[in-house]
Amino acid sequence: MGKDRIVVGLEIGTSKVCAVVGELKGDGSVQILGVGEAPSRGVRKGEIVDMENCGKCIREAIAEGEDKSDVMIKNVYLGVTGAHIASFNNRGSYTLPEDREKIEEEDVARVEDAARTAPIPARNMSVNTILQHFYVDGQDGVVTPVGMFGRTIEADHHIVHGVSNRIQNSFQCLKDLDLEIEDFVFTPYAAAQAVLTQSQKSTGVLMIDIGGGTTGYCVYAGGAVKQSGCIGVGGDHITNDLSLGLRIPMGKAEQIKIREGSCTLGNSLPGETVTLKDEHGFAGKEIEREMLNTIIHMRVRETLELMKRDLEKENYLDYLGGGIVLTGGTSELRGIKHLTEDVFGMPVQLCKARNVSGVTSAFENPRYSTAIGLVKYAQATTGSEGGGGWRWLKDFFK
Amino acid sequence: MIELPRSNHQPAPAIKFVGLGGAGANVLDRLILDGLDPDSAIAMNTDVQALNGSVTRMKIHLGQNTTRGLGTGGDPDLGHAAAEEAAEEISAALAGGDMVFVCAGLGGGTGGGAAPLIAHLARKAGAFTVVFATLPFAFEGRRRTSQAAEALAQIETQADLVVCFENDRMGEALASAGGIQQAFIAADQTLSQGIRAVAAIVQRPGLLALGLDDLSALLKKRNTRCLFGYGESDGPNRAHEALDRALRSPLMDRGRMLAGAQDVLIHITGGPDLTLNEATILMEEFNRHVSDHTRIHFGFATDPHLARRICVAILSAEEAPAPVAKKLPQAARHVETPAPAAEPTAKPQAELFSAPLEQEPSGQAGAPDEDDPGDSYYNSPPPSTAPPMPEHKAVPKYAPQPATAKKEERAEQMPLEPASRGRFEKSEPTIVDGEDLDVPTFLRKNTRVK
Ligand SMILES: Nc1ncnc2c1ncn2[C@@H]1O[C@H](COP(=O)(O)OP(=O)(O)OP(=O)(O)O)[C@@H](O)[C@H]1O
Ligand SMILES: [Mg+2]
Repeated sequence: MGKDRIVVGLEIGTSKVCAVVGELKGDGSVQILGVGEAPSRGVRKGEIVDMENCGKCIREAIAEGEDKSDVMIKNVYLGVTGAHIASFNNRGSYTLPEDREKIEEEDVARVEDAARTAPIPARNMSVNTILQHFYVDGQDGVVTPVGMFGRTIEADHHIVHGVSNRIQNSFQCLKDLDLEIEDFVFTPYAAAQAVLTQSQKSTGVLMIDIGGGTTGYCVYAGGAVKQSGCIGVGGDHITNDLSLGLRIPMGKAEQIKIREGSCTLGNSLPGETVTLKDEHGFAGKEIEREMLNTIIHMRVRETLELMKRDLEKENYLDYLGGGIVLTGGTSELRGIKHLTEDVFGMPVQLCKARNVSGVTSAFENPRYSTAIGLVKYAQATTGSEGGGGWRWLKDFFK
Repeated sequence: MIELPRSNHQPAPAIKFVGLGGAGANVLDRLILDGLDPDSAIAMNTDVQALNGSVTRMKIHLGQNTTRGLGTGGDPDLGHAAAEEAAEEISAALAGGDMVFVCAGLGGGTGGGAAPLIAHLARKAGAFTVVFATLPFAFEGRRRTSQAAEALAQIETQADLVVCFENDRMGEALASAGGIQQAFIAADQTLSQGIRAVAAIVQRPGLLALGLDDLSALLKKRNTRCLFGYGESDGPNRAHEALDRALRSPLMDRGRMLAGAQDVLIHITGGPDLTLNEATILMEEFNRHVSDHTRIHFGFATDPHLARRICVAILSAEEAPAPVAKKLPQAARHVETPAPAAEPTAKPQAELFSAPLEQEPSGQAGAPDEDDPGDSYYNSPPPSTAPPMPEHKAVPKYAPQPATAKKEERAEQMPLEPASRGRFEKSEPTIVDGEDLDVPTFLRKNTRVK
């Protein structure tokens, strides 16, 4: 480290493709040089379903990113997501050779390897293996075991994996565009790097990224990632529900959701309506406000409850001193903070990317958290030789 | 003009209508808005919020301690326990009814879990008990389907009659054409028409009386699925049209469903100008849809309210081959069944419906007028149940046009109607616990008792 480096975070989201060009400063800070964005086509629930159309959108976003930042983009940090992605925690252990008691780098590498080679389903590939803690002779909370004396070292890792074929669709897409993937990251983990503070990570926090087609989450406790996952439901489902329930086209449904919609029930007067304007701005259909909000409320509540159920499979919810942080485009929905507080029974904050400079106000929006988080991830991992992803990639493309 | 003497004025039996759970209360609300006397209706639910939203005056909150007002989350055991907790209150409310009609969606925790117990309590109170049950749509998930089958089997051991409707079949035709929303509306509409028809049959015997024994002949068998059709017309060719529309109801499959039926009930109501000739033509036409062996139970009544309109209700039932079958083969075979054990004692009662199916003018219960508070309430559906269904307000109380025509008209207005999953139609579904999360939450929760 020490030398400035330019990296690009690329999120191929369900509603937009976004390329954030950032400069990693020697002092550890990040400066955003430019952001390119294009509305997504061919992406459903966070996964590419139409490579050709999606490729065009990526090209557009990259071109704009290059324009804005005056940087030629060759490599990217890619966000991957989808409901097929799963995670678990795994412990590996390694016993030092008889003739040694002082832990060296190579021992640490060995134990990390052991923890990483956890059994995952044959059709899956590893997405991220995130180090949690070391233990030396059973003593926990060890951050840097190198130099310590001990016989066995153990390492806990949070292992994120997903269906290889699906993940490789996005790899292929980028390959077709002559873009190289420097590393790839599960998007909730990436977003967490943008929106969470170190102290939140230590006190325990649940980060939820509610996007267009997915809702991702990532739990930190004691400074380490404990749980992460993704549900294939997002803001587009709200829009779709409204379109079907109110019998209006998707475009109108999206508009009314953003302009008028709320998750809060019982806040409207009996019989209160909102008027849907037609293309010429003339008053059109009247929509019952409470009905509008009920449809939204039911979807968001259900999604949060599903996530809560997932989270309850392990008991970290009791360790979230830092409460919950919401980000992603749908976190802008009115009333979502209170609804989330209601479902989880803990304080909730709405957050966008923090500690980055150079972001113009237009990009101070929670929907950029993931892409900015990819840049922050790059910053955090620069210097460590190639992540797990790197190696996997080589295997795939050689 | 047929000039027949009015049948001897036997007082109609008093019916208490119970709407159980979200789906049941929904149908009950609809019946009230269609003119059912609200004092004869009782809503029962575990979900306090939903209960408060119902237009019924009498409400029983099930499971104050068991579920604390929150609904069952689809768990029938909770639904049962909640009803048990309120058993005394339920029995007190049901006392004094000659008949109790219980309406419940069996896929929900409250509907499926509590219905057998309610039926039990109703019979214990001495009422002839009819349960109108709906089986959930297949898309609501396998868990609900099997819960509903279990509930149905239990109800059959408790109730005097079970009228069981399959949502899948009622909504099938429309689910593909008009989207899931339409499917739910069609199902709701068919169910409420069916309840009205049955109530009219037992309450208003009419000129040619149909009675409980006719109904029992159709429905007394175990594990049957109700076939019901309803149509109206006041056009120049109204007899033919009304029948045709009844036969085109979702459950009739253009009359094909009747081909193998052993017993079919048909009830014709018309205004004062209904001629015998018309009725004869109608029956001749109807006869072509049933086999020679079919026993036809024919009822006929007039109602000056109807003016030029003719209404036809057709009711039959067929056996379900397996406990939970989605598609049924054509024929249904019925064995002669004994008349119902408990014939209700007749007792004078205010008219329940000022509905087309009824015979007399008696002004006691007119159609609620335009500024009926119930109506405006319905326009703003309460949160979480009575899910948003814009059509409900679009359906006029006593539609001058026939219901079926209305439906077609709507379908024409919305040719690009998004299907059930809308934008997610072509994408891989997100299935969690057998539920398709791409289907709007409010639709999936519709029949769920929450
Ligand atoms: N003000 C707003 N109120 C409500 N919803 C909003 C608002 N602004 C954006 N959204 C919704 O946010 C969603 C897009 O969020 P975001 O850009 O984070 O998603 P994405 O990253 O493209 O999708 P995903 O991560 O799920 O693949 C859309 O569904 C959009 O309707
Ligand atoms: Mg996103």
